[in-house]
Amino acid sequence: MNNAASDLAIQNLVIVGRDAPVWLAACVMQSALGPAGLHVTVVELPGVMGPADTYATLPALEPLHARLRIDESRLMAATCGAFTLGKHFHDTTGRTAAFFHAYGSTGARIDNTEFLPNWIKARHYGLQVAFEDFSLTAAAARHGRMLVPDAEIERHGFTDYGYHLPAFPYGAWLKQLALRRGVSMHETQALGVLMKADTLDIAGVELDGGRRVMGDFFIDATGDGAALLAGKLGVQRESWRGSFPADRVLVAHAPPIPSLPVYADVRAGETGWLAVHPNQACTHVIHAFSSETSEHSAVVNAERLARLALSGTEIRVRDPGRRVFAWERNCVAIGEAACVFDPIHGADLQAVQLGLVHLLPLFPVDADYAAERNEYNKNLQAAFERIRDFQSAHYVLNRYDGAFWERARLTPVSRDLLRKIGVFRARGDVVHYEDESFSIDDWRALLLGHGVMPETWDPAVDRTPPDLLKEELRRILGFIRRKVEEQRSHAQYLQGARSPLQM
Amino acid sequence: MAHSPLHIVIVGGGSAGWMCAAACAQVLHPQRYRLTLIESDDIGTVGVGEATLPALRDFNTLLRIDEAQFMRETQATFKLGIEFRNWDWPGEHYVHPFGSFGQLWGGVEFQHHWLRARRRGLNPAPLEEFSCAVRACRRNAFEFPDPKTPRSTFYGYAYHFDAGLYAQFLRGWSRARGVKRIEGQVVDVALDGESGDITSLTLKSGQKLDGDFFVDASGFRSILLGDKLGSPWEDWTHFLPCDRAWAVPCERSADFTPFTRSIAQPAGWIWRIPLQHRTGNGHVFASRFVSEDQARATLLGQLDGRAIAEPKLLRFRAGRRAVAWKRNCVGIGLASGFLEPLESTSLFLIQQGIQDMLRLLPAPETGGVDERLSDEFNRLSDALYERIRDFLILHYVANRRHGEPLWDHVRSYPLPESLAHKLQLFASRGHVPYFKDGFFSRDSWLAVLFGQGLAPRAYDPLADFIPLAELDAKLRVLHASVATHAGNMPAHADVVTRYCGESEPARQVAMT
Repeated sequence: MNNAASDLAIQNLVIVGRDAPVWLAACVMQSALGPAGLHVTVVELPGVMGPADTYATLPALEPLHARLRIDESRLMAATCGAFTLGKHFHDTTGRTAAFFHAYGSTGARIDNTEFLPNWIKARHYGLQVAFEDFSLTAAAARHGRMLVPDAEIERHGFTDYGYHLPAFPYGAWLKQLALRRGVSMHETQALGVLMKADTLDIAGVELDGGRRVMGDFFIDATGDGAALLAGKLGVQRESWRGSFPADRVLVAHAPPIPSLPVYADVRAGETGWLAVHPNQACTHVIHAFSSETSEHSAVVNAERLARLALSGTEIRVRDPGRRVFAWERNCVAIGEAACVFDPIHGADLQAVQLGLVHLLPLFPVDADYAAERNEYNKNLQAAFERIRDFQSAHYVLNRYDGAFWERARLTPVSRDLLRKIGVFRARGDVVHYEDESFSIDDWRALLLGHGVMPETWDPAVDRTPPDLLKEELRRILGFIRRKVEEQRSHAQYLQGARSPLQM
Repeated sequence: MAHSPLHIVIVGGGSAGWMCAAACAQVLHPQRYRLTLIESDDIGTVGVGEATLPALRDFNTLLRIDEAQFMRETQATFKLGIEFRNWDWPGEHYVHPFGSFGQLWGGVEFQHHWLRARRRGLNPAPLEEFSCAVRACRRNAFEFPDPKTPRSTFYGYAYHFDAGLYAQFLRGWSRARGVKRIEGQVVDVALDGESGDITSLTLKSGQKLDGDFFVDASGFRSILLGDKLGSPWEDWTHFLPCDRAWAVPCERSADFTPFTRSIAQPAGWIWRIPLQHRTGNGHVFASRFVSEDQARATLLGQLDGRAIAEPKLLRFRAGRRAVAWKRNCVGIGLASGFLEPLESTSLFLIQQGIQDMLRLLPAPETGGVDERLSDEFNRLSDALYERIRDFLILHYVANRRHGEPLWDHVRSYPLPESLAHKLQLFASRGHVPYFKDGFFSRDSWLAVLFGQGLAPRAYDPLADFIPLAELDAKLRVLHASVATHAGNMPAHADVVTRYCGESEPARQVAMT
């Protein structure tokens, strides 16, 4: 018996694009469908990512890496990346309450009921302790400790982590991995797209020097221009520009921060925000602002907000929006070719990942894949809109000073988000739709962080006696103090992660 | 506590009313919520033999109900799934089990591995033999599932019981926990002139009852939500034309199944629900395709025991109230909608409605209606009804019963787009979309799709990573382990007798 996969309708997959997205796509498609006989070829365009760029990833990337059998300690060593337990949001004046968006749950179940309604009720009766003070993940981050769950922590709640991955070395690492695993590659400066004569499908791409790479199916990872999906197949774009106040992004790097923090620091200034992403070899900074501010002023503002000497500064246009179909004919767009997000909350790699993870179980099995395409486009639209809503909430709910933030408060809000904010304010309940990338814990952190205080609570917690509630709240705080003490510092953890014993 | 308690008035004392009363009594704080239920001995409830879904166990757990006692008092038996006979074609049958087929290998769903084995000539055993629950059904066997068992041999279970006795059981339970019961019939409903909220009910006796929040559990009459508040009825009879049922109990037969049976008929289907003391039977039919008399005769002709009562005729319509929670009134059960009991969803819809209502109930501090919360309830309710509706229609359209008016009629009607899309995806590659919310699960869809004879054109090539020889070996090992697991289960009849039979309150079975 052999693994004959000769009846695979799509035999040649061509992935066109640049930087980490094209190589992540190649790794995923090759490892999942290589065994079925799929040939994966990458056409690599010149990269745009430089030493100032970093991916601040969501926790979902780690399981994808695990599926690709990527060794985390080697990856961190090779890229000089860092771990992150969440994001600390604050303004530089201190006038608006700061909050921590931790990648984990907050509190623990009390009397067999959810923690949040208990906290709302306790607060109603005078509790002064902030919600995030009950987050073990946030507490560890604030103390510079990486959190490694043991059995006790797993019983207590849920905790996770993301990465800060310097974009250039990360892309290079994925490229080596893809090539080792049998992906073919062509490099080119120029790109032309060839159509089939009889259908409206793409037949292949033309590279410089007249080389041609033909294929049955194409992934467009060329970035926001979507050279194949938009450039050739003409898929239109739905602009989200009106929902977001920033249309320019500045990236830069700075020397590493001693005693490496294990979270991103996001600072609101009057003309935009700035995020500091600590990494081992350097610190990456990103500043989002509106083009109403001059580039010169933006550089000055960025240095002031970062309080660091910046180098390698680059400024790029950012125009959020979604292609109305991510899959058209025999071409699927992933990452920015399908959807450009606002830079807050680091959703860029998540967009790539969503595109790939949804594609795998729907990858064409025969020539008729209309049902798969419809399903894919429906899922991706929902998934992208849910991320957009999370980011949009950050802007419309903000309480920061300055014209940038005032305008942000007036941006339009989707019906789905309006419902979410309304129900949370009314009851503290998170309406969690299908295809959410951000968890209920993420939404709680965001909404409470921006001051959406629930007016009532789930009546299921009413029966818990007040004394028991008080005792449990004290117990949780004590547990957090004790557990944080037990953790290693971020730097120690990275050392350990690098040591061969950990592999 | 500073605020006077919020007074919840439940109208109707069937399963819906008493399930709601019991859950409220269990969850809500008596100083914050006061509960009254109005029921009339003059109004019968629909209560017939009821088949349930595993979710009901969560409801009973919420109430901390002792399972053996509850089963004894409601004449309950265990249920591992539903057997559908003649649905695809006369003589064909399959089981929709409460459990999965096989297991995931390498993150790829089992049906793809199985389809691949078939496509590649490995001649795997039939799909249903990879379900522990189905194999137990074939042997009329039952055992409590062991939560430590791997997914391949795991399954859930539900109950068959007498719905009238269940309501009685919960009535006793609720009254012992402070629910006030008023005997009476509502003859008038007063609304607030400004807000349109219900303010009070007047009973036949002349008694006037004020309330803050009202649960309409009055059944099809929907006297608050439908009659008074005018929540419009959304009719689904074009999708699901059955509108009557004859119900009749008969003597218990030797065939003591751990499953509900549903037998397709020219103009509907017949249910068979085994209880401890009798078997519940009913014929759901479409009156435009068969006369009542003929349907009655069909039912009586297919009983496997002597009828022990006169058949009772029930009338219904498929559909729902467009707004299930309006102003300060929420409809629970038939007052908010009806879907034929083909997949045993009646009590599940009630239970889900109650649980969502409890979570979104007005607080005594705010008192009035909060539309942000009632809108969310309605969103959840819509999604649930629509998904179940699609699943039911699936049974009527995925078959080869051509030439019979009811079946031809349903097939001729355009499908809801959501269902047509699912059918295409399955036909293409055996894929069933996953949903976080709502029913039914992916496993359930697969059971019915495969069961009713649909076959995908291809399997998912993600399954190709396993070398064929290894796949062959894995399938054999799995098949044997499922067979052994199900083969070791005791007879359903014995488990019921030992665990919750009338004479012996033995609990040993649960302990071991």
